[in-house]
Amino acid sequence: MATSGLPGGFATTRWSLIASLHGGDPRASRAALEELCAAAWYPLYAYARRRGLAVEDARDATQGFFVDLLERGDLARADRERGRFRSFLLAAFQHFLAKRAAAEGAQKRGGGRTILSLDFARAEELYGIEPADEASPEGLYQAAWARGLLDRVVATLGAEYDARDKGELFRALEGELAGDSTPRSELARRLGTSEGAVKVAAHRLRSRYRELLRQAILDTLADPAELEDELSALFEAVGGRRAETP
Amino acid sequence: MTATRPICVRCGTPLPEGHPPGRPCPRCLFDAGLGASAPPEGAGVSGSVEASAPPSPESIAPLFPALEILGVIGQGGMGVVYRARQKELGREVALKLLWARAAAHPALEERFLREARTLARLNHPNIVAVHDFGRTGEHLYLVQELVEGTNMRQALRQGRIEPGSALSVVTQVCAGLQYAHEEGVVHRDIKPENILIDGQGRVKIADFGLAKLLEPEGPRERLTQAGEAMGTPQYMAPEQLERPLAVDHRADIYSLGVVFYELLTGELPLGRFAPPSRKVEIDVRLDGVVLKALEKEPELRYQRASEVRTEVENIVNHPEAAPAAEPKKRSALFWIAVVAIPLFLVFLVCAAMIALYTGARVEGPEQVEAVPIESGK
Repeated sequence: MATSGLPGGFATTRWSLIASLHGGDPRASRAALEELCAAAWYPLYAYARRRGLAVEDARDATQGFFVDLLERGDLARADRERGRFRSFLLAAFQHFLAKRAAAEGAQKRGGGRTILSLDFARAEELYGIEPADEASPEGLYQAAWARGLLDRVVATLGAEYDARDKGELFRALEGELAGDSTPRSELARRLGTSEGAVKVAAHRLRSRYRELLRQAILDTLADPAELEDELSALFEAVGGRRAETP
Repeated sequence: MTATRPICVRCGTPLPEGHPPGRPCPRCLFDAGLGASAPPEGAGVSGSVEASAPPSPESIAPLFPALEILGVIGQGGMGVVYRARQKELGREVALKLLWARAAAHPALEERFLREARTLARLNHPNIVAVHDFGRTGEHLYLVQELVEGTNMRQALRQGRIEPGSALSVVTQVCAGLQYAHEEGVVHRDIKPENILIDGQGRVKIADFGLAKLLEPEGPRERLTQAGEAMGTPQYMAPEQLERPLAVDHRADIYSLGVVFYELLTGELPLGRFAPPSRKVEIDVRLDGVVLKALEKEPELRYQRASEVRTEVENIVNHPEAAPAAEPKKRSALFWIAVVAIPLFLVFLVCAAMIALYTGARVEGPEQVEAVPIESGK
């Protein structure tokens, strides 16, 4: 799948990141790990917290998990055959937590060692505002993953507009990303342009957004045919509900 | 839970904490990506609103054997409207198909059927009648009275509405609202698009209660495709933005105030807005009515739509020349006060000084000469 056209966020697929972790070049491994972490660590941290781990413990486990990813050969077997990166990562983390619990008493893997500067204070803040409803640890992980993905997609889109000196247009039309929300006449007035121009600009913005969104999701899939399914799963992870096909 | 949470600009549900305000909620954002590349063939109304064309009359005809589907009238945030004919009665009706994803929401369907039953009971000349409703296949639908005419939005686009017509529209909307409120139904989405006018100038309020009908019941039950389901921000009462689930009929009175203002001035009452009579030549007493309907606190607003109607009718039936002319009078006085009086005083002072200066040599009658001397200074 071609990803070269996408500046910023999604230059590499998540799966190829995993491969670079074990590629032998330490600098490449490090960079790969950091990119991987950026996308995955908060959902995993939130998962650990919702599982009942205390702040310190969850922090330790998240760090430890990434230490494992980098140092151990655990992920050597993590090939694309494993399907969706989102599910794979959670399974790997669950496996890691189980092993960690079994090693209770012994020095916990990753404990005390810091290899990445993860902003755990910020993570705890984010976790603090997660809805305290009945969402399971898995549900929270999926939702946090989905929201993180959206944040990166929208940030990439915004950066593209900024790069073309159209940041203001992007911010004015951000509310129209999912379809018309504000009367066109109002937007036209705000932007000092015609309603026709607003319509075209909003249409372009949405097309590009959809492209980036779908590409970002494709990057996490072994099989592109799973795109619609994964999109539905993410939609449901944030509380959406799809029409059931009879 | 805080009292004020920003809401999604698209579907109106509260945004998750920390979500950038102004950006659609995560559900709407994913929804926009769903089916974007491959809208399912003949799967009916699915995918994003703009991505999919409405199902063709032919494709939905089998779902409605009692109707002859004549064509598409329009498409909006909530669904598609078709012109249809009831075969038995030979009566033309509007068939409203709601977006499919709404139909896939079991709790919503149940509530839809419950609320639609209430709506079907509403029987008033100023309310679009609901003839039938239900679910077929994956669609929730309403069969409604067909109004041949235009809506207020289209009328506004075509040009300014005469104050007289605006008042007639408002009193008719009030009549419909008052009736519905007495029946315990709140519209929740009063806006020019929902106010229809037929060929005889009769006003009919459309989509009564549809906003509530398609609104999520609790925080865990949310709808994504309803679009404008939760009301239209520009027309929503402040309390409706803050607590969409807890509004009463007074939210409709606020929205009516916004529409009233827009009908009179062609503009929305945004921010610090001027009273209507500052913008157009109307009876200033109308300012009071509009402003009272637009009070931020529901307690300070009119408590009943019929009160608005009574006040407007009083003004129409008892035209008073004085109040209408008042602004002009006041402005004439204003100019007299600001310009003429000081000028006169300056003239007097100058004249007095000149008189004093020249008075030593010249006697009173020579004062006339003061004028050329003064202007020469």
